[in-house]
Amino acid sequence: MASSKASRLGEEVWKTRMDKVNAELVVLTYGTIVVQLCKDFDSDYVEVNKQLDKMGYNIGLRLIEDYLAKSNTIRRCSNFRETAEMIAKVGFKIFLNITPTITNWTSDGKQFSLVFDENPFADFVELPDDGRAQDELWYSNILCGVLRGALEMVQMQVEAHFISDVLRGNDTTEMRISLIRYIDDELPPEDD
Amino acid sequence: MVVYSFYIFDRHTECIYAKTWLPQSSSASDNNNGPTTTTTGGTLRIASADDAKLIFGTVFSLRNMVRKLGGDDDAFVSFRTAHYKLHYYETASSLRLVMLTDTATLSMRNVLHQIYINLWVEYVVKNPLSPVEHKGGAGVKNELFELGLDQFIRGLM
Repeated sequence: MASSKASRLGEEVWKTRMDKVNAELVVLTYGTIVVQLCKDFDSDYVEVNKQLDKMGYNIGLRLIEDYLAKSNTIRRCSNFRETAEMIAKVGFKIFLNITPTITNWTSDGKQFSLVFDENPFADFVELPDDGRAQDELWYSNILCGVLRGALEMVQMQVEAHFISDVLRGNDTTEMRISLIRYIDDELPPEDD
Repeated sequence: MVVYSFYIFDRHTECIYAKTWLPQSSSASDNNNGPTTTTTGGTLRIASADDAKLIFGTVFSLRNMVRKLGGDDDAFVSFRTAHYKLHYYETASSLRLVMLTDTATLSMRNVLHQIYINLWVEYVVKNPLSPVEHKGGAGVKNELFELGLDQFIRGLM
């Protein structure tokens, strides 16, 4: 699907079919979750990242069905580049009203980056000033899990992680996504 | 138009939902828990759990054959025998919906798509109490889904 067509689809679905909630409510709710996780795990930020990813994964497993239903997707993407377009211009658009930029493709077409010019989760956010959070916590890590879960349901095994975050003082917020493999159809069990 | 039965298979090829609509003369409908007798075209036959397995085997093979011949984007929509017509719809998340109707029925592809969007996603996927994997049909048979499906199908007939 051409990239402009994906943008139009995302725009239309966002305008006509999505229930909206107040953005600040999302910021506060998500922030509360992260703060609570930091408390629960005694500021073990590696573990917090892991938990956020896991929560996202479970969200993604279900969210993909809503995505397919709302976007009226019938057929699979024909290649990973098209998948990237649909993630950025339809997926992120309809659920968060943002369109991250797709860049830094590897030549084999199996890895790309999403650069977030805006991140609705990160508004008003400051990382804890304990000297470690800046280096260890990926605040929006839930998004990695969401992508991993959602793509698994449409038979793509991917790995996703943040490589920079403006909250840490980097210039950009960038997520790296790599396709590991396409998952085969499951076959019915053999009859005895 | 008459709808005979409806099946949902998940991506693990398991039948997670089955429902048969008995002809008007019979009293209540049954959910294929045990063998039920159904009259179709004057012949009495037994509907059992094996039906679901056979149906899945058929649609799965047909789908693979169609893809081999027509490319990965191709999908079969329905097939017809002397007694019934089988409609098939598969989502990108490998959920397969199958419906058996009488032979005169036009394409039910849209109907199956609507069931997916308006009933499956709304009442099963978005139900926080329903598990992600529906082993043995867990979470599918909730009241809203059952009621919505029955009303939707009866509205068509």
